Amino acid sequence: MQSVRNSILSHMRLRCSAEQLSFAQRGNVLKQFRWKMCTSAGTSPDQIMDRVIRLVKKFDKLDATKVTETADFQKDLCLDSLDRVELVMAFEEEFSIEIPEEKADKLTCCADVAKYIVSGGEQKNVNPE
Amino acid sequence: MSVVAAGYLARRTAQKERVRILYRRALKDTLNWAVHRHLFYEDADLLRARFETNKHVEDLDTIDRMIADGEAQYNKWRHPDPYIVPWAPGGSKFTRNPTPPEGIEILYNYGREDND
Repeated sequence: MQSVRNSILSHMRLRCSAEQLSFAQRGNVLKQFRWKMCTSAGTSPDQIMDRVIRLVKKFDKLDATKVTETADFQKDLCLDSLDRVELVMAFEEEFSIEIPEEKADKLTCCADVAKYIVSGGEQKNVNPE
Repeated sequence: MSVVAAGYLARRTAQKERVRILYRRALKDTLNWAVHRHLFYEDADLLRARFETNKHVEDLDTIDRMIADGEAQYNKWRHPDPYIVPWAPGGSKFTRNPTPPEGIEILYNYGREDND
């Protein structure tokens, strides 16, 4: 663990000194980095979309070539309701979030899932309980 | 006739919903019991197979009885200490290290101003 930390820190310092960032920017970079370390869902919407699609493609009961942003899980990808439950559980694990049961039913395509994950992250930022 | 059909459809939808929620809870509970992934995959396959064997049952009352049976089994085998995502409510990191209040700024300079 210590060696991992050291290697990451040395990498950060190297990058900072190499690019000669101003103080404020350096603070931002570190803040962003820390945010990424703390929550697995705190990346940009594009990255989240990418991860969602990659995850869906890895699901072995569907045809990976048919997966697109707007392909409906049930109609286009021929998944039944239980497969969709498994998929939602995979999303929960990948992004370390809890998707409530009534929301899980409404997630019908990759774009929906990405939107839900992004909005969930924002809600958590605005009012931390 | 249409009333009967509508009633049938409504009951069918409710049953589908119950099965979906039961499967979801049972799958999560499987992950609570099986701490390693390679154990979990086998258990999850078994669980799925148990649902699949009764996939083609048509009789509504039989389905209702099966769902009730499944829910009873789920309740009997529910994990006493389920896994919760650490920062979710009930998790071990919940409300720890919350975001600082408005107007407080943290400087991440790591003492560089002393050395430069």
